[in-house]
Amino acid sequence: MTTTLEPTFTPPQTQPDHTGTTAVSLAPARRHRRLSPATVALWVILTLLIIAPVICFLLLATSPRLFQQGREFFTLKYIAQAFQGQTGQGIFNSLWVSTSVSVLAVAIATTVAWLVHRTNIIGRRAWGILMWVLLLVPTWMMTLGWTDVLQPFGVSQYLGINTSYLYGQFFGPTGIIIVLTTAAIPFSYFVVSAGLHGLGSEFEDAARIHGASRFLTMRTILPIIAPALLSAFAISFAETMSDFGVAFTLAYHSHFPLATYTLFSAISNFPANFPVAAVIAFVLIASTVPPILLQSRVMRKGSFAVLSGRTRAPRRREFSPRARVAVTMAMAAFFAVALGVPILGAVIGSFIQNLGIYSSSAVHLTTTYYMQVIHPSIIGKGLGGPLLLSNQMGFVVATVTGALALVLARRLVNNVGGWSQRVTDVFLLGSVAVPGVVLGVGYIFFYNLSFITSHVVDLYKTLPLLMLALVASSLPGQTRFMAGPVSQIQPSLGDAARVHGASRMRAWRTTNLPLVSRVLLWGWLLTFTKTISELAIAQILYPPSQEPASVTIQAYLANNALGTGTAMTVITLIEMLGAIVVALGLFRLLTPRGWQRIGWSGVKS
Amino acid sequence: MNPLIKNTGALRSRITAVALTATVASLSLLTTSGAAAPHPTLVVYSAQGYDSAAVTAFNKTNPGFTVTLNDNSTGPLLQQIQAEGNNPKWGVLWVDGSTAFAQLDGEGKLVRGWLPNVSFNKVGLANVPKDHSYIPTGLTATGALVYDSSQITAAQLPKTWADLLKPQYKGEVGMNDPAQSGPTYPLIAGIMNYLGNYPRTKNVNAAVAAGEKYLEALKANGLVVNATNGPTLAAIEAHQIKMAIIQSSAGYGTELTTYPNMRVAYLNPVTALPGVIGIDAKAPKAVQDEAKKFVTWLLSPAGQHVMKTGDAQGDSLFWPVLNNEQPSNSVIPSLNSVPMQSLDPYVWGSQENKVNTWFEANINNG
Repeated sequence: MTTTLEPTFTPPQTQPDHTGTTAVSLAPARRHRRLSPATVALWVILTLLIIAPVICFLLLATSPRLFQQGREFFTLKYIAQAFQGQTGQGIFNSLWVSTSVSVLAVAIATTVAWLVHRTNIIGRRAWGILMWVLLLVPTWMMTLGWTDVLQPFGVSQYLGINTSYLYGQFFGPTGIIIVLTTAAIPFSYFVVSAGLHGLGSEFEDAARIHGASRFLTMRTILPIIAPALLSAFAISFAETMSDFGVAFTLAYHSHFPLATYTLFSAISNFPANFPVAAVIAFVLIASTVPPILLQSRVMRKGSFAVLSGRTRAPRRREFSPRARVAVTMAMAAFFAVALGVPILGAVIGSFIQNLGIYSSSAVHLTTTYYMQVIHPSIIGKGLGGPLLLSNQMGFVVATVTGALALVLARRLVNNVGGWSQRVTDVFLLGSVAVPGVVLGVGYIFFYNLSFITSHVVDLYKTLPLLMLALVASSLPGQTRFMAGPVSQIQPSLGDAARVHGASRMRAWRTTNLPLVSRVLLWGWLLTFTKTISELAIAQILYPPSQEPASVTIQAYLANNALGTGTAMTVITLIEMLGAIVVALGLFRLLTPRGWQRIGWSGVKS
Repeated sequence: MNPLIKNTGALRSRITAVALTATVASLSLLTTSGAAAPHPTLVVYSAQGYDSAAVTAFNKTNPGFTVTLNDNSTGPLLQQIQAEGNNPKWGVLWVDGSTAFAQLDGEGKLVRGWLPNVSFNKVGLANVPKDHSYIPTGLTATGALVYDSSQITAAQLPKTWADLLKPQYKGEVGMNDPAQSGPTYPLIAGIMNYLGNYPRTKNVNAAVAAGEKYLEALKANGLVVNATNGPTLAAIEAHQIKMAIIQSSAGYGTELTTYPNMRVAYLNPVTALPGVIGIDAKAPKAVQDEAKKFVTWLLSPAGQHVMKTGDAQGDSLFWPVLNNEQPSNSVIPSLNSVPMQSLDPYVWGSQENKVNTWFEANINNG
């Protein structure tokens, strides 16, 4: 008898989980597992990667003397300091901005996800891909692009558009919320999309049959995907709280302090005020607890189980031709604003001679800045070597992160409702809110301890430590990103393979791997690109004489060489997009066709 | 043949190919990592624009050991040194401004009592501390009045610090934020030093209060604060402001590159901002010896040449602190024509955190 292990994926009996998607229902015996060696090993790794460095940093809030940063072994005075003046204002601003951004991001992302997955809008696949591109562009690049467009004597002036009013508006809370919302939308979109997969159109039909208006129908349907919406809110909130790109650029220039900037400011002084920075970091991490508690509270109030073995593929809403064109145009307009303006702004800006400089004559195009990339004005500060190094690091970091995130995601969804799942969930979301600068400095405090360097390992100021920090920075988000798709895999697939004699590894490779291959690929690409553009950790931990690309670009941008810096940014962006195309091409060439058809897909509806 | 086995074999070979690619890439990274620092010895923490050129040139001509470079802004470098605590990884620190060095010296973190055997000029000697705990390598001025000659003529410029408060300059003046711009705290300390008549009065608190009052008045007259030289100069270039009080080399660099209308003038007095290098007292003896060789080379004709050409339109535009050395570009005037005061870094270094925090709360975000 020939036995094939080709997976036949049918929706299992599921229940909603804390990742906002639907998860497999598990036998009670699996919920109460004891600590296995694998669990211990995993938490040891997480401790070395994230917990120990972050705790070292947080301890400074009350015990600065532990790390020779003050005289007190225990004090509460820095807690009071952190809530006063500018730092207190920064915390307040961050909280209300993050809440507003999260609400906006979830609302917009839900609308976009519904249009893409549940209607006949034109170009569904393209919108999915563009959402990915939006996810990959860091906020500091986005701000740079917007500034190039709106600034006096910038791109808009070159195109003959007067944007002086918008420029004033952009450098304020409005611009900050716009950029942060566009950055948060993709996180919400992918979580809500996963939730929408479980929602058949029969619920909408049932509401309409019972006479509900469109508004009432929406009110009926939306609570069904409440877990996904709350999860999207939580992840958007945590990502926004921890964002440094906008806080350092747009918010700073608007004199609108955000918590991540006041944290940076506290440790930029000399001597640095690490204890106050530690209090702010604690607030950032603790701020993610309320969204999780809210999610748990809502979940306890009722059942949200909508997937079953009889769940049918959702029916798409068919727009009339005119309405179809209209919603497609609206979608195009959304991406034009969210993605087109900043990217085109940066690209065109890199070709404008004397960008941002007053000129009574017309603005001229030039390739000077690209020539300066090849022949840098600062000797020894070219982009080639750093960009190659960043790509190599991106490769290693993305691969390690992908493997660890997959293991962590499996454990997260295999313990639904258990304490382990709750602890892991809070830990992951809290970690998302840790700013890169906290992780970077925390790594110095922990990995440069005399005991560690003398008796354990001396990694400080080496590439492996920088890569570990980058893995730690990417792992929480990547795990939460993977948890949804991983939760949709029925464990019986692997069990069937095992029954037919496959080893554990072979069973996983032939049943699970095909189903998660696409999410692994996109997760890998996400980490790869984020690693190349990451600045906060790289600036603190890069080994002497091994400068990553982001640090080189920042040196030019901060040194009144905006044109050269912008050109370097554009080249890096193009290189990142090229790497994505190559990776997708390799996936298409190397993997069996079946892998490309089944399982999760963020871009194909 | 069993189709499962056939598919599995093909799959395995494909995965193997990808895995091989990954492995090669990873190994390549390790090779790169190893090749950059085969014998990691002296680590230079530097915020100088010409530091890459200096380290590269030194390594080429001094094969005995390899110097590596942590090139960052002043703030992150000092942050790292502070976080490293009693287990430092830096061999030398090389940044503009001596106030941080005075604090490090106070904590016993700098090698004392050593100077290279070179001939310092007058300004060089003025910036050598009594205990020889750090060494000047060049000089710029902070608080230079960098202005756009197409917006305002030299005759229309303010002539004194008090003039900057006049209504005619309302909204026309910019400066940097000391939290992000290394040379800006020395500028603020210089204003306090001058207005508080320090050291004659011996009252640093009164000097700080006088300086704060002046900066509040400047703010009331429309002072525009940007993060660093880049955005401040960009504000002048975009005609948002007409002048700024920043570092002299940034003004000369802009005049030579993006904006020929940029000019530099000097109010009486501006504050000397020495480029300074200091050696880590906790570094091993061998590393300290290497550091001394590096510093001696920097102050040799070969090292001075590299410093004056490594960032030709930026930090290289400094006044040398050695006899028989001239500035790299004729755009830089004679030092004798610049009214310059020197700060006591041991007095003003201890005020840095307090003053910067006040500035953030009351001037930048007040």
